[in-house]
Amino acid sequence: MKQTTWNAVNAPFSRRALFGGAIGTAVFALTACNSGSTAPVDLSTVNIMAPFLGTDAPLPGGELQGKVEAATGKTLNINWTPNSSYEDKTNITLAGDDLPHVMVIQGKSPGFVKNAQAGAFWDLTDKLKDYPNLVTTLPQVQLNASINNKVYGIFRGRTPMRTAVILRKDWLDRLGLEVPTTTEELYEVAKAFTVGDPNGDGKGGTTGIMIPKWPGSIGSNSPYDVVEEWFGAGNRWSERNGSLVPSFETDEFLEANKYVKKMVDEKLINADFATADSTKWNDAFFNGKAGIIIDVDSRVAALITLFKQANPDDFENKVTFTGNLTGPDGKLYAHPTDGYSGFLAIPKSSVRTEADLKAVLEFLNAMNSKDVAVLLNNGIEGVNFTVTDGRAILVETETAESKKVTEDVKSFSQLGTSVKGDEFYKVQQSTEYEQKVYDERLVVMAENLKSAVYNPAAPYVSETYVAKGAQLDNIIADARIKYLAGQIDEQGLKDAIKLWGTSGGDQIKEETNKLWQENQ
Amino acid sequence: MAQLLPVVDTPSRAESETVRTTSDGARGPLRKRTFRTQFRHYKWLYLLLLPGILYFAIFRYGPMYGVTIAFKDYVPFLGVNGSPWVGVQNFADFFANPDFPRLMGNTLILAGLSLGIAFPLTIVLALLLNEVRLSILKRTVQTLVYIPHFLSWTIVASLSFLLFALDLGPLFHFLNGLFGTEIDFLTDPAWFRPLIVLQDIWKNTGWGTIIFLAALSTVDQDQYEAAILDGAGRFQRVWHITLPAIRSTIIVMLILAIGQMLNTGFEQIYLMTNALNRSVADVFDTYVYFVGITQGAYSYSTTVGLFKSVIGIVLIFGTNWLAKRFNQSGLF
Repeated sequence: MKQTTWNAVNAPFSRRALFGGAIGTAVFALTACNSGSTAPVDLSTVNIMAPFLGTDAPLPGGELQGKVEAATGKTLNINWTPNSSYEDKTNITLAGDDLPHVMVIQGKSPGFVKNAQAGAFWDLTDKLKDYPNLVTTLPQVQLNASINNKVYGIFRGRTPMRTAVILRKDWLDRLGLEVPTTTEELYEVAKAFTVGDPNGDGKGGTTGIMIPKWPGSIGSNSPYDVVEEWFGAGNRWSERNGSLVPSFETDEFLEANKYVKKMVDEKLINADFATADSTKWNDAFFNGKAGIIIDVDSRVAALITLFKQANPDDFENKVTFTGNLTGPDGKLYAHPTDGYSGFLAIPKSSVRTEADLKAVLEFLNAMNSKDVAVLLNNGIEGVNFTVTDGRAILVETETAESKKVTEDVKSFSQLGTSVKGDEFYKVQQSTEYEQKVYDERLVVMAENLKSAVYNPAAPYVSETYVAKGAQLDNIIADARIKYLAGQIDEQGLKDAIKLWGTSGGDQIKEETNKLWQENQ
Repeated sequence: MAQLLPVVDTPSRAESETVRTTSDGARGPLRKRTFRTQFRHYKWLYLLLLPGILYFAIFRYGPMYGVTIAFKDYVPFLGVNGSPWVGVQNFADFFANPDFPRLMGNTLILAGLSLGIAFPLTIVLALLLNEVRLSILKRTVQTLVYIPHFLSWTIVASLSFLLFALDLGPLFHFLNGLFGTEIDFLTDPAWFRPLIVLQDIWKNTGWGTIIFLAALSTVDQDQYEAAILDGAGRFQRVWHITLPAIRSTIIVMLILAIGQMLNTGFEQIYLMTNALNRSVADVFDTYVYFVGITQGAYSYSTTVGLFKSVIGIVLIFGTNWLAKRFNQSGLF
């Protein structure tokens, strides 16, 4: 057990050596006869590598897969890989000889960037325009998903605006407060939730805002990142006087963190924000320990479900929400994501010729048609859902067949790309109240999207950032937490930002600015 | 560690066996012939060696080829062979890195604490158990102290979090109430090392006693009787009979422990690390994970891992040499 890391790091090689050694000799005899390596690739079967997030991977030959195969005219051979080890598996697969035709890549990790720049994937920048279903209506997102404007994959679109402040409605009502619209009002509500006995039990023990230990570094859509953006620090990078600066080098970054620190000091934020378990986030809200969560709007639905499970007769008006908040300068800077969650890339070593590439892109074009999008994201109409007023309603009496399809959809949705926005059916919520809240969410998020401040450097990947960016990001992320916890003072935070610069951050800044200027 | 023994032991014994047989007839052609005739004579017995050799060749030595990427700029797509050589660039980067002294310091301090506190405690516990005369009590206690070994670090870490959680944990309240302090044990850098060592003791001490208890069971009982007749007390008996009797076991275990010194236990430390105590928590193992897996810098992290392994080998041979110098039997 003590050798975990060593093994983990060596895993790609040990496996490779193992397969290379064992299979290599066995295959040698075969290849000796079949030396013609330029034989055309048989693309009647498309091999795909994709992650699955459910408990079980779909079995080949399932009904849903059959429908997708019929709609695309190809046999699918999908290698479902557990999401938790997907990144490792990606690198192992790339190092091996047997690559799929289509790979889901989960993001621009340094590993992927290195591989792509070494020529492991097809550059699709000028190719997508020939395929009507692959031409995006969201060019900015496609740019965000590119590496320095080179498109190496078909991005998997996700709603960019998701930021929401979620509050206990019953607490607000008891204290006679309104939903906050500015950061100043958020402070007041958090204070009232902490000291104002919001649950009416006459005892203390309530906290305003709950923040759990955040697994990501800076720029990971954490509550801290969101508040900084509200204050006007920008989204990772900010344009100042004609050049890009990292958001943490702005004055607004300091102001935002002073604001959060004030709330930490006054105990309006849970004291264990550096260690609290994020899986208890909803529990704390539901159990009345904390009354405010700053996260994504889909959490609203999850929280309502919690209240509904506890008491189906009285779950309305427990949860309310709003979108982004106006900062101290009176302007709304809404925090969007980069709008995608990885992409589908095509490895060059399995798809060797332009003709083969064309066949694969035609397949992906078919995969992104509206009909297939519905199959991938909703399931089979008439089996696990029906459509009324343009909304999907899950069948009420589940059969073994519908259950299987619903379960498979969880995995197959990973293959959907939605480069033209979501073309499948939105799911009808199970109660009228939940439907109402859901519709409200759509309205608020659409409104917020108009004020979104995007990351101007999203498409650009600087060389130094690939080499050591994650370590450097951690300097800032740790310093931020230390400052909020009072381990270091403002000067300490500033020193950490300086350290970021001298440890390689200045190079990242220079390289990113160069890439940005070249592509203006 | 207990499982490691046979692994280390077997090849060295096999080796010495071969050396002995081949050096029997020291003169060239004769020796050759003896070995050959012997091989022919015992060929079926030698065949039994094959699975073992294959196992080591395929699963232990073959993969070591991958270590070459410490001297390359490894890109998975280009493969181990196709990636460009960069010489010792990765090592140069590592030693020049400002993280290096911090990692080295943290690793050595944690290793030192574990060696200086947890290791002797194992011996003390074994001695205590050995002195228990009531068999049923001894066995019950033994079983109870083995149990923590079978819990994973994830569970140990979760238990610690429950016990020491801010405002909620019973130990948080008890200790802070007792000393009138307000320490958050889970995030305070000063408390990180004590927590790690405590967890280590809780989980591993009981299990570690097994080998010492086995050694203790071989101590000649007559010596105790003689000592009692001579009027030696309990502590004198432990000091003059028991400890010298298990000295060689202690030294072998110490050499093994020192060889493992830089393996500070990835899971345990990774689980207990947070943004506030990272400055004292980062060790080579977590660094390799962080840089290698999350940042995809396989070459660099292999460099760190290789460095660690080289130090481990130097430590094993060094301690072994020292043990022999002081007229103790070493490991090999």
